Amino acid sequence: MKALCWNGVRDLRVERVPDPEILNPKDAIVKVTMSSVCGSDLHLINGFVPSMKAGDIIGHEFIGEVVETGAGVKNLKKGDRVVVISVIGCGECQYCKEETWSLCDNSNPNGLLQEKIYQYPTAGIFGYSHLFGGYAGSHAEYIRVPFADHGAFKIPEDISDEKAVFVSDGVPTGYMAAEMAAVKPGDIVAVWGAGGVGQMAMQCAYAMGAERVIAIDRLDYRLANAARYSGADIINYEDTDVLEELKEATGGRGPDCCIDAVGMEAHTTGIEHVYDKTKQFLRLESDRAAVLRQAIAACRKGGTVSIVGVYAGLVDKIPMGLFMNKGLTIRGGQMHGQKYVPMLFDLIRREIINPEFLLTHPVSLEAGQKAYEMFNDKTNKCMRAVFKPFN
Amino acid sequence: MKTEHAIHSGKHQRKHKKEFINVNNAERLISLAAGGMLLAKHYKHPLANPIKVLTGAFLVYRGLSGNCPLYTGLDKNSNETNAINTRVIFTVNKPREEVYRYWRQLENLPFFMSHLQRVEQKNDVESEWIARIPGGVGIIKWNAEIVKEIPNELIGWQSIENSTINNAGKVEFYDAPRGQGTVLKVIFSYHPPAGALGEGVAKLFNPLFKTILKEDIRAFKQVIEAGEVATIKGQPSGRK
Repeated sequence: MKALCWNGVRDLRVERVPDPEILNPKDAIVKVTMSSVCGSDLHLINGFVPSMKAGDIIGHEFIGEVVETGAGVKNLKKGDRVVVISVIGCGECQYCKEETWSLCDNSNPNGLLQEKIYQYPTAGIFGYSHLFGGYAGSHAEYIRVPFADHGAFKIPEDISDEKAVFVSDGVPTGYMAAEMAAVKPGDIVAVWGAGGVGQMAMQCAYAMGAERVIAIDRLDYRLANAARYSGADIINYEDTDVLEELKEATGGRGPDCCIDAVGMEAHTTGIEHVYDKTKQFLRLESDRAAVLRQAIAACRKGGTVSIVGVYAGLVDKIPMGLFMNKGLTIRGGQMHGQKYVPMLFDLIRREIINPEFLLTHPVSLEAGQKAYEMFNDKTNKCMRAVFKPFN
Repeated sequence: MKTEHAIHSGKHQRKHKKEFINVNNAERLISLAAGGMLLAKHYKHPLANPIKVLTGAFLVYRGLSGNCPLYTGLDKNSNETNAINTRVIFTVNKPREEVYRYWRQLENLPFFMSHLQRVEQKNDVESEWIARIPGGVGIIKWNAEIVKEIPNELIGWQSIENSTINNAGKVEFYDAPRGQGTVLKVIFSYHPPAGALGEGVAKLFNPLFKTILKEDIRAFKQVIEAGEVATIKGQPSGRK
């Protein structure tokens, strides 16, 4: 089959590779119909996530059709149209039983490697480095889905592919961002990053009763989308002082909830960005945390900061004094998609959330390198490029 | 690489000074394992790493023959020392009785212990263990007996006297708090060879044993909780 492989920093190529096979009884093989790029892929492509190997198939946000099931698969059959959650959960460990699927004890074959860094192993993720299991990703014609009964969900007939594909990762990540931010009716919510995940967080914050959502980004086309599709007020941080703007917008109190939907490759302005870029380049810090710092500074006293933008290692200059003395709550995590899918289908069906506008560029696998360049450089008003391996 | 060399246990004869066999069984095993792994890792491109290949070959010779030219030169012969313990503690999300029952059925151990080929229970206490030497250079056999057993709480075993591998172990089972399954404390101990060189080798490989044990324990947890061991072996990639 054809697959989009990572061969090194900013080097993606379509290769002929063997078709995936059932390796364990609870596996299924899914024929990929759509597979989206994700902002978190950029960290792999730009070389900020360790343990990538040349030849790794990337991609983790996808839908498809079940073509084969292992002997231990009970809820799926050939021909089912499914969305597969990007994070893999065994369904049986304490964490999965408590619906904290991304903390699964058993789904990461490289758990011991990860334990050395994180102390305890977390769940495997499709196409997301060997630290997260080394599973072959979804930018391919076929993919093997372990623990398929738990990770693959039949898509209701009245939900289109264009909406369903983002239920794999972007929508549940946005939902969990708003949930971790503890959004309550009447809250003012600030979201850094107006990409796919950020905008899903904005829509979900409204679904939880937010009074007002403020989007912060530097790209006017994304901010325009956030205003149009996600009902957000917008701040372009390159034009203004974000902290002052947020005070202005909240009667001087600061936002109740601050969501970091950017992560470790944050941009900012001025000397702080130069400082972070330099330290990251010299490997003195692995992650650039400009957004996290600003979110902690902006948040009202007693408010909550929620982190869904991906961090991999160490950050620098976190304002602990602000966090401590303002009595903030900080939460973060990879999403527990399996917990949210049925509810998300319902919210999509009732048009309370709608991810469809994210799909700006349907492309072939062969266009992989170019599509990621466009997505990385934010050209052509790209929100998400989505691969259709069989078109 | 496929030939199977079973190392048989033999008594140390320390009377004669320049004896041909001057490496004890535990150390021979470590040599074989280490040498085998070095060879397995580098045999495809021996010229890229000649020192590692030569070291590997030397260690395999030392393991198979029981003769260490270095020891002969140093007039050394390895013998008894303190045991080295490897300890792992972990929790599985299953009731204590179920976890105990699975573990007590020693035939189950090879399902998750990657280097065990087979365990055969001969009677209530005695069992025969067959393990693969890492690197595929052969197998080793030894007999063990259960020396202590408290149902649902503890199993302790020991290799019988004059075994190839002088080892012992113990697993304790406790209820985890809040009904979150069972806590297992696993201790393995083995006797490394004596002398500065032998101890050095043993210390060098202790992390390896610990890693193997931890991998095995993780696999045990996966088998008993999820019913299968997560793997990516055999999946496609663009690597040639």
